[in-house]
Amino acid sequence: MSNGSGIRVAALADIPQGEGIAIDKAVTGTADDIALLRDTDDSVYALDDTCTHETASLADGWVEGGFVECPLHSSKFCLKNGEVQGLPATKNACPHRVEVRDGEVYLFPGESP
Amino acid sequence: MTERVVIVGGGIAGVSTAASLRAGGFDGDVTLVDSGDFPYDRPPLSKDFLTGTKDVKEIALQPSRWYDDQRVRLINRTTVTALRPGDGAVELGDGRLLRADRVVLATGGAAARLPVPGVGGERVHVLRTADDADRLRPALAPGARVLVVGAGLIGAEVASTAVRLGCEVVLVDPVAVPLAAALGPELAAWLHALHTRHRVTAVQAAVESFVDRPEGIEVGLGGVTRLYDAVVLGVGMVPCTELARAAGLEVDRGIIVDERHVTSNPAVLAVGDPARMRQVPRTEHWEAAQHDGARAAATLLGAPDPAPAAPWFWTDRHGLHIEAVGHMEAAAQTVLRGSYDDPSFAVFGLRDGLVVAAASVDDPAAVRAARRLIDRRVRVAADRLADPAVNLRGLLRG
Repeated sequence: MSNGSGIRVAALADIPQGEGIAIDKAVTGTADDIALLRDTDDSVYALDDTCTHETASLADGWVEGGFVECPLHSSKFCLKNGEVQGLPATKNACPHRVEVRDGEVYLFPGESP
Repeated sequence: MTERVVIVGGGIAGVSTAASLRAGGFDGDVTLVDSGDFPYDRPPLSKDFLTGTKDVKEIALQPSRWYDDQRVRLINRTTVTALRPGDGAVELGDGRLLRADRVVLATGGAAARLPVPGVGGERVHVLRTADDADRLRPALAPGARVLVVGAGLIGAEVASTAVRLGCEVVLVDPVAVPLAAALGPELAAWLHALHTRHRVTAVQAAVESFVDRPEGIEVGLGGVTRLYDAVVLGVGMVPCTELARAAGLEVDRGIIVDERHVTSNPAVLAVGDPARMRQVPRTEHWEAAQHDGARAAATLLGAPDPAPAAPWFWTDRHGLHIEAVGHMEAAAQTVLRGSYDDPSFAVFGLRDGLVVAAASVDDPAAVRAARRLIDRRVRVAADRLADPAVNLRGLLRG
C-alpha cells in the first residue's frame, strides 16, 4: 500500500491536539485500523488502533506527554514505540511510521517509526 | 539492605509491587507466592469470564514469560502459612522456608457472607475468584431464577451479566439507592433504575434466611419467601489478615499500615484490600491496589512516594461504561454536563471552586479530564463544566 511518500491520511488540523482519529484498515491495508495520535506538543504518532488489553479504540484515548491512555481501562502506551506502560494491558501496541509535511499527515503502514 | 523481597499474593497489588520494584531498578530477589496457577485480573470475572467469552489464560495479569523476563520467581499453587519476620523468612504450606529481608502482604480479601441462616448452602454463590466464577457459570442458565444480593459494583455487574444470559434476575439491596456516596444521589438513582429497564427486578429489602429445598433455594426477603435456583452474594469483602495477626502485626479491620505501607513490623509491608491506613478510608478498587503496589515498591527502594492521584474506578452494566474519580461525597455542588437522556454524559462534584469528583456514563474522556483537574487543583467555573461545547482540555490549561 505505501510508497516512498506514504499515504496521505489526514490534515494535521483534522486531529485535535491531545486526541486521535482512527484511519480505517481499508485505507491503510493493515489488519487493524490505525490511530493517528496528536500529542500536546503537536507531534503526531500512529499505533494500531485496538487496545491490546480489550477492544477499545486508542483513537478515542487521552493523548498527553508522550503517551496515549486507553479510554476504557486507562492502559498507557508510549506514542513513539507503542510500548505498554503498566497494567492492565501487557502487550505493546504496534507502531507505524508517520510524517507531517506541509500540514498533511502521511502514514507508512507497517514501517517502524 | 533489602536483597530478598517476598510478596504474598498475586492479585493486582502483589503483581504491581513486583513490577514497580523492577521498574524502579531493584536488583535483588523478588519472589511472588500465589495460590493459583498464575496471577489473573479480577474485573473480568463478573463479565467476560463469567459469560465464558474469555478463559483464565486470557485474563492473566502478565504473560507467562514476563516472570522470567523480570526475574520474578513465581511460586504458584502455594500459600504462605506463617511469617517469621524475626528469622527473616516466611514459611510455605509444604513446610519450605523462603528467606526474606522484607515481606509484602498482598493477601487480598475473601467475599463477605451475610450472617443469615443457610448462607453456606450449595446454591449460594460468591464471586471473588476464577473458581467462584467457574462454579457460578452453570447456574446462570437461560430461565434460571437468580437472586443477586447487594446492588453495588459486583452485584450490579453480575445482575447485568445474568440477565444477558437469559436468567430471571432479582437484585436486592437494603439501600434504596446504592452507590449514592460514590456517584452522587442523582446518577446513582439513574443507574439503579437502569436495572428495571433491562428486565432486572430491583427490590429494596434485607435478606432474612436461606433454606435449601429440593426445588430450589427459598429466600426470606422483606417478610415473604421466594424460591430461586441460585443466589449470588455481592456484599463486600473481608480482608485476609490471618497471617498478619498470627505474626503479631497490628490488625484492626485490616492490616494497619502507615502512609508508606509499612505495618507495625518494619520488615513487613501490606498492600491492596487487606491494608488499612488509620485515617484514610479504604478504597477497594483495582487502581487503588495498583497504586499501593507502586508506593510499597518505592518504600522498599527508598525512593520518593509517587504523586498521589484521585481515586478512580470503572464498572460496566447493561452495556454502559461507568467511571468515577475523586470523592463525590465531599462535593458541595454537582454539575451535570449533558443530559440523562443523552447517550453519554458526566457529573462533576465541586467544592470551593475546585473539582473534587466526577462520574460519567460512556464519557471516559470527561473523567480523564476531571482527574487532572482534581490532581492539579485547577479552579473552574461550574457553568463552564456544564457546557458540553466547552472543551474540557481547555479548562486544564486554566
